This record gives sequence, C-alpha cells and structure tokens, in this order.
Amino acid sequence: MPRRTKDSPLDRLVGALANPTRRDILDALLEREQTVSELAARFDMARPSVSEHLAALRDGGLVDERTSGRHRYYTVTAGPLRELADWLTPYERFWRGRLRDLGTVLDEMPDEMPHEMPDHRHDHPHDHEGRR
Amino acid sequence: MTTDPTTTDVQDDPTRITVDQFYPHPPERVWRALTTPELIAQWLMPNDFRPELGHRFTMRGRPVEATKFSGVVASTVLAIDPPRLLRISWADAEGGNAMETTVTWTLHAEGTGTRLLLEQVGFGADNPVDQLSRRFMSGGWRSQILTRLGELLDAGA
Repeated sequence: MPRRTKDSPLDRLVGALANPTRRDILDALLEREQTVSELAARFDMARPSVSEHLAALRDGGLVDERTSGRHRYYTVTAGPLRELADWLTPYERFWRGRLRDLGTVLDEMPDEMPHEMPDHRHDHPHDHEGRR
Repeated sequence: MTTDPTTTDVQDDPTRITVDQFYPHPPERVWRALTTPELIAQWLMPNDFRPELGHRFTMRGRPVEATKFSGVVASTVLAIDPPRLLRISWADAEGGNAMETTVTWTLHAEGTGTRLLLEQVGFGADNPVDQLSRRFMSGGWRSQILTRLGELLDAGA
C-alpha cells in the first residue's frame, strides 16, 4: 500500500486552508452560520462549488453543519480552530492570556508595596507606613 | 494620532508580535506589576528579575510542545525607563528552539488608565511554524481571521 502523506487531521486541516476561497468562506462563517445558498450568493459562485469547498472544510474539521427545517446551516467549529490558533500563533495566545492575568494582578494588588521604594526597605516590611 | 488602534493583536509580519491591552489603573501601578518579581510571578512566571539595566535573570514556565520551548526563559534587562518602557531579551535558556527575541513593554497613560503595548520581535523567519503560517496567511487573512477568531475564543465559544 502506498504511503499516504495527507492522512493526519492536521494535514487535512492545513489542506482545507490551503485555498483562498475556502479561507474566505471560513471568514464569512466566523461572522455567523450560513447556508450554501447564502454563501453562493455572497461569493458569486455556483452552489456545487460552494458545497465542494464546504466538504473540504468539514473534512478538515473546520466547519460543522446542522439542519433546520429545509435549510442546512454551516457553522465554524471552535475546537480545531482553537488548536489551529494555538499552533499558528502560540505567542499571541500566550501573551493575551498573560496580559489577562496581569489585569487580575492589577485589580488585586495592594496600593503600596514596600519594595516599590528601595529607600524605605527594611527587614520589617511595614515600617515605612508608620515612620515614628 | 489619527485612528485608535484598539485591537492590533495579530499582524502579518511573522517576525513580530504586538498585543495591546488597556488597564483601568495608572502607569505607576502597571509598572509595579511589570517590575516586581513577586507580582511578575503571579501573571507571567516565577523569576529572579531585578529592575536594573543589564541584570540577567531567568523565568521558569511550562514547556510548550508546539514551539519546542523548554520552559525556561533566559533574559537580560536591555532598557528600563520607569514608568514608560521596559525591554528585555527573551531566549530559551536551554536552546530547545534556538529562539532569540526581544520583548518590549511600553506604557501610555490614557485617561486615568494605562494602555500597555507589548511587542516581541526577532522570531526567525525560517522557523518552520512561521514558514507554514506565511504560506497560508497571505493577503491579510492572518490578521483578519485570527483577530476575529481571537474574539470568538475569548467570548468562550
């Protein structure tokens, strides 16, 4: 059996993204869930072409579908995209998380800290409060 | 100043990261959180930082598989101008990913609060992750979709 090179979930995901139209579709779906007809109208494409792209995106784990009445809506799946974001931009994600935590520290830290003022630093950290 | 750069989290330059964040606290308070070892440990990593030009220190975090980061950051204080600017070098202490970057925090008073700009520069353009992201992230897609994605994820999707 020939060795398959495009068989991992990540390969399918990257393959799904390797097409500018599919990235546009994904971008549109990030705004809200949409039907094939809506997407076809938006991108001025034939519906079968849109369906084909959606199948590739679904295969890559990037979109999901749900049926409501006569309509089938396509929506972005957060899980794989979260992994993708972590993978593509690990440091942006890292810093956003750290800066959120910094916000918590800022909200909770005391107004004055003894080591803020080296001049007043003593063995007893509260000495500077009531200098007698 | 013409436009308000509210969210410039993700850029198209793969060798540079900029994140900005507004805090409803004055720059002096933000500066204290950025330069006090005990406070740095609370939001970043345990460390032996000292607010002195040229001081070498390490920070110990968790290894990151995706970027081959060993978990230990080796840094030097490159510039310090309280309460406006702090620049440190940021390298993997164990050379796991041979990363050698610079992190700069810039504090801007904004009303009664502070806008903190974080910039990390020097990511290798030949890093495989960067190469891959560039291949797929052309034409503004990276900034558009990832910014929106960040909002989506932050909203708890």
